Amino acid sequence: MAEGKTITLNMGPHHPATHGVLRVEVELDGEIIVKATPYIGYLHRGIEKLAESKNYQQAIPLSDRLDYASASANNMGYCTAVEKLMGIEVPKRAQYLRVIMAELARIMGHHLWIGTHALDIGAMTVIFYAFRDREMIMDINEEIAGYRLTPTFFRIGGVAADTTPDFIKKVREFVKWFPKALQGYHTLLTENKIWTTRTMGIGPISAKDAINAGLTGPSLRGSGVAYDIRKAFPYSSYDDFDFKIPVGEKGDVYDRYLVRMEEFAQSIKIIDQAIENLPEGPVAIDSPWITNPDLVSVQTDISELARRFVLHTKGPVGPDKEVYHAVEGAKGELGFYLVGDGTEHPFRMKVRSPCFYLASALPRLLVGHMIADAIAIIGSIDVVLGEIDR
Amino acid sequence: MVSATIDNREISVPEGTTILEAAQKAGIDIPTLCHHKRLPPIGSCNMCIVEINGNTKPVNSCNSPVEEGMKVATDTKALHEQRVVNLKKILKHHALDCPICDKAGECDLQDVVYRLGVTDAPFEPRENPRIAEYSTSLIRYWPERCILCQRCVTACNAIKGIGAIDIKSDGDDGQIVVVDADKCKSCGECLFVCPTGALTENLSRYKGRPWLENRVETTCTYCGCGCQLQLKVMDNRVIGVTTDVDRGVNQGSLCVKGRFGYEFIGDENRLTTPLIKENGEFREASWDEALDLTAQKFSSIKEESGPDSIAGLTSAKCTNEENYLFQKFMRAVIGTNNVDHCARL
Repeated sequence: MAEGKTITLNMGPHHPATHGVLRVEVELDGEIIVKATPYIGYLHRGIEKLAESKNYQQAIPLSDRLDYASASANNMGYCTAVEKLMGIEVPKRAQYLRVIMAELARIMGHHLWIGTHALDIGAMTVIFYAFRDREMIMDINEEIAGYRLTPTFFRIGGVAADTTPDFIKKVREFVKWFPKALQGYHTLLTENKIWTTRTMGIGPISAKDAINAGLTGPSLRGSGVAYDIRKAFPYSSYDDFDFKIPVGEKGDVYDRYLVRMEEFAQSIKIIDQAIENLPEGPVAIDSPWITNPDLVSVQTDISELARRFVLHTKGPVGPDKEVYHAVEGAKGELGFYLVGDGTEHPFRMKVRSPCFYLASALPRLLVGHMIADAIAIIGSIDVVLGEIDR
Repeated sequence: MVSATIDNREISVPEGTTILEAAQKAGIDIPTLCHHKRLPPIGSCNMCIVEINGNTKPVNSCNSPVEEGMKVATDTKALHEQRVVNLKKILKHHALDCPICDKAGECDLQDVVYRLGVTDAPFEPRENPRIAEYSTSLIRYWPERCILCQRCVTACNAIKGIGAIDIKSDGDDGQIVVVDADKCKSCGECLFVCPTGALTENLSRYKGRPWLENRVETTCTYCGCGCQLQLKVMDNRVIGVTTDVDRGVNQGSLCVKGRFGYEFIGDENRLTTPLIKENGEFREASWDEALDLTAQKFSSIKEESGPDSIAGLTSAKCTNEENYLFQKFMRAVIGTNNVDHCARL
């Protein structure tokens, strides 16, 4: 190839290693990337617009489909935002159940990440172990909510149902089993020479740059910034639990990997505390304006019957004000900006999706690296396109 | 103009305005069941109670005029509790009919129950069940859904000036009765103002539910008045007719034809093409063919027997302009004065 002449290469949207339908246009000088431009929009479903025509309860399944790899964590973001709008305090038992579901979802999201990330750069074995363990969480979701990938277990004001004995049993089994499995992942990767060569010193980003790029979550913590919304602005009883925020130093692919591996362990620690200290009590608030009357009382009580009809045909009414509420999703700060207008629908819902900022940081992460390293870098920031395009 | 304060908001309204109207104008929503925009104040439901000048004895805002310097509170804890008590009285014998009620989904009673957050109002059956004394072939009265708000009676008297129905009041056993069955024209004014499903159409029962319908704005085709209608459409079929109180010349009123005469729209016996009779049998034809044939036959009859052998009869469904054109056609083109009109439908 002639000196100084670059070629342009399309990675995605149907590339097996670009995670969803992300398309990155890279300009190559030989094998070195000189320019990278991410293109998004291939998975646009209009979720934000759709939420404007649904009532507050009906929009919960939409939030599952943002970062579908860790659906319950999005439920947490949406439901807590609506509850902030409506001024609802959720019962303690529901808060703990939510924490269990959200942390299981985080582990599920990290499972998908470690499996595909390792697969992308040549370590094929990991995905089989990761998906074996992910299957256990799917079973837990199925047990309590009926759905496996997108459980939609949260409701405005609480959760959909109380625990079953099998749920508790399965969660305990998972908590007991998973540290061993995690040790297995470490054995496969952490000191693996090929793995460390492919990841150490690749795609580093300084703490300052990471903050300027709006990175949050494990990708920010990999650069050494100990910012986690669960600690910084605790919600849903996170201040009850004892856990650490793992941070990296160099901000390269390997550090981001280590941070997520430690988050596995911390999430398990939180779930363990939550399931052992699960408080007694109701799993949803009892408010005539939000809670569905039960099916027994509607057969004898006209006020319950009428309210059930209004709640189903129109939905709970939200106040005329606006809120922003963010939670720590599996990928970072997942924020919901809701504008209520005194009706059953939000006037506007804006999702602050962490993956959007992660994908926007790709140009500065990729430039100067080999084309083969692009795969490692895209895998390490762990983007889910369902959340970017919405 | 008089000035007053409602919920700490300064308002200034013309003399004689009721507190309820003034509050609505200022954007303060007071729950009501018996108040209707087109009707004079009734004051039977006791939902719109307010406190005036801190006086703990509440008054109905729908029939109290605003007075100079008045301080009104519309939403205090005591008022809320009193409203819940009043509503529970209304709900006591209300049938558990929402799942089969036509009105469920757009029912004022449901909305007020949700708004006040009422719970624990168990159904108690009546000792002496009400009997449906009032009903016509088009209007059905469901006595156990009636909350005796008297909107229907007021509408029959004040809007239509008929006075066909009244309330037989005997405490809990009060119900709607017919005063004079011959006077009732089944116009459905009572049905339109009913806040619950106590008065429903006999025609469109169980055909669809409010949240499944599309509402299509249109103009009534029956006569030249041009009343504004909203057709309730589900699965491309018209399942009912309603109106909007703010629209058109009729302002929510309709006659029996406009309100109930819609079933012909989807009737399978309706003609969809012109028919021509040949050898005693009808066959389908195009409009061009049919009009050509008609014109040809008119010409030949006129030639054979003279223009006065033809007569024209037009319809009240047509507008004045169309009727004018019709008589012009008969007189100028055919050349006869034999024009008449059905004058009614």
